[in-house]
Amino acid sequence: MKDVETRPKRYERVIILALLLASLPLILGFSLLTISSLSTNMVTNLDPDSFHSTLENWINLFKGKIATTGGIRVNIWRITLNTLVVALGVAGVVTGISALAGYSLSRIDFRGRKILMVLLLILHAFPGVALIVGVYLLYRLTFPQSHDLVGLYSFIYVILARAALEIPMSIWLMKGFFDTIPWEFEWSGIIDGASRITVWRKIMLPLIKPGVLAVALFAFLAGWQDIIYVRTFLIHPTLATFIEANIEAEYSHMPLIAAAGTVYLLPTIIFFITAQQLLLQSYSGGIKG
Amino acid sequence: MVKVILDNITKRFDDFAALKGVTLEITDKEFMALLGPSGSGKSTLLYTIAGIYRPTSGRIYFDDRDVTDVPPKDRNVGLVFQNWALYPHMKVFDNIAFPLELRKFPKEEIAKKVKEVAEMLRIETLLNRYPWQLSGGQQQRVAIARALVKEPDVLLLDEPLSNLDALLRLEVRAELKRLQKELGITAVYVTHDQAEALAMADRIAVIKEGEILQVGDPDEVYYKPKYRFVGGFLGSPPMNFLDAEVQDPYLDVYGNRILIPIQYRELVKKLGVRKVILGFRPHDAEVVRGVAEGLVGTVYSFEPLGREQIVTVSVNGASLKVFAPEGEHFTFGEQVTVKLREDRIILFDKKTEKALEFLEE
Ligand SMILES: Nc1ncnc2c1ncn2[C@@H]1O[C@H](COP(=O)(O)OP(=O)(O)OP(=O)(O)O)[C@@H](O)[C@H]1O
Ligand SMILES: [Mg+2]
Repeated sequence: MKDVETRPKRYERVIILALLLASLPLILGFSLLTISSLSTNMVTNLDPDSFHSTLENWINLFKGKIATTGGIRVNIWRITLNTLVVALGVAGVVTGISALAGYSLSRIDFRGRKILMVLLLILHAFPGVALIVGVYLLYRLTFPQSHDLVGLYSFIYVILARAALEIPMSIWLMKGFFDTIPWEFEWSGIIDGASRITVWRKIMLPLIKPGVLAVALFAFLAGWQDIIYVRTFLIHPTLATFIEANIEAEYSHMPLIAAAGTVYLLPTIIFFITAQQLLLQSYSGGIKG
Repeated sequence: MVKVILDNITKRFDDFAALKGVTLEITDKEFMALLGPSGSGKSTLLYTIAGIYRPTSGRIYFDDRDVTDVPPKDRNVGLVFQNWALYPHMKVFDNIAFPLELRKFPKEEIAKKVKEVAEMLRIETLLNRYPWQLSGGQQQRVAIARALVKEPDVLLLDEPLSNLDALLRLEVRAELKRLQKELGITAVYVTHDQAEALAMADRIAVIKEGEILQVGDPDEVYYKPKYRFVGGFLGSPPMNFLDAEVQDPYLDVYGNRILIPIQYRELVKKLGVRKVILGFRPHDAEVVRGVAEGLVGTVYSFEPLGREQIVTVSVNGASLKVFAPEGEHFTFGEQVTVKLREDRIILFDKKTEKALEFLEE
């Protein structure tokens, strides 16, 4: 992809500077967090003297110690795994449902389609917090009797509940991607003898692959970062709830929490660095010339 | 290989009628061209034959089988789309193999059939590429290969050459015609290019605003247009049209008097028409210098085109185009007379724009 090569350059520097300034707080915040995790003290006071480099925080983190005094131990691997399960679960559910629903809304003429689309938008407008009482009620109602099932149940529940928040918008996004694919691809598949579901799987999905990946990644991050739903429904901690719970605890050693925070932010950083590549990646259509 | 019968097909999109009572019979192994300007309903008709659209009214038969409500995959048609619609994420091989895979053919047989059809279309060296790595002409062959590989009963082509450059188009159209005859496949070929239709088709159906105006072999539609529109759409440059008034036994054409052509004398009397349109093709007249019997006018423009040259003559404000013989040159403003070849003149009714001999149909 190439821009117009003769575009006016006059404001380019100004714009770049403005963007840099706007993103400065974020960059600064993340840098301080990472630097602190490599230091014996927090460096958030911006005083270079308080930086004494050490890897101890990271070593302790992976050993599962939460205080340098050694007393309190948690399994950080377990917590990361919990987070990963929730995030992947949300990503899977959201992507699967929205890819199917987005296709139907884009391509299949059924009754109530318009209304459904409006309803989805309204649903999206509700903040998750506003719904939580109702969602909690349902949680209690379906809570399992058996102790062994509670862990599993809470995982499934938090995944479904958190995914439900993401789904309306994701469906709209997916519908938008499907809308861009010319009907001829679909018709061609149907004439070749494919069923609608085969057309969806073999022709349409590959054509909107970048879109599917984007939706999946956003959903993954939503699951990875969520605090409210996870704290309400999940028996086990995730990175987000763990950090939040320890951030003010007396025993916790802040640079160590900073290391945990760095781990927590890692997917977001990786995502936004690679996202550009990913989102721009697309096939160069059927026609040439 | 089947005969396709369209019986009074109407197709509406909401309250817009894209097809209005189309009746057409395409015989077995025939190459039928569907010729019409943009927006005339050509693609709509093709998609209706393929089963993508269901006609609002009317029936479609493949031989004796009523297929009006049969879904596309059970009609065994091959369709080449206007933009070819090659699957961009599949290599050429997989594109061509796709219809066979869906029919659960065994792997070796798929490979064999794909190879066969690829050789026929001379794309066997391209099987390992993606569509976007091919030139327009190559992509077009792949699209045809994909439509042919399942051995369809009917091959439907929607302006398949419109994305190719002029030279390539000439080459491919000869090839395509040959291929259709070799395979003996019933084909419907949509085009807005009159030369393509004349060159390739066994018969041409001229369509305008959702109605078929005339069906016939290329000579018929070229020399015996039923409507002014048909005469004006075919040929390059197209037919000339001049308003004329009947003053038995003459026609008054912009102040020139010419005899009513023999073949029309009776008819004009019988119908009692007064206002007509006189039509003739640029090669059915000759230009001579000076004033003589015929249409007298001045040279408005002169375009040498190699072997033939087009003279545009202005006759009292009306403009007409005539071919001048090789080597003859005319200067702008020169006074000339256009002499018409009487037996090639077509008279149209002024009001309905229908040729007089078809007026009573
Ligand atoms: N899905 C649709 N909904 C509404 N109107 C349609 C639809 N498809 C086609 N039309 C209309 O029907 C008419 C015929 O369209 P069609 O695509 O068949 O034209 P065409 O002859 O193939 O033209 P072209 O040579 O430009 O491809 C056009 O006026 C078009 O606007
Ligand atoms: Mg068309």
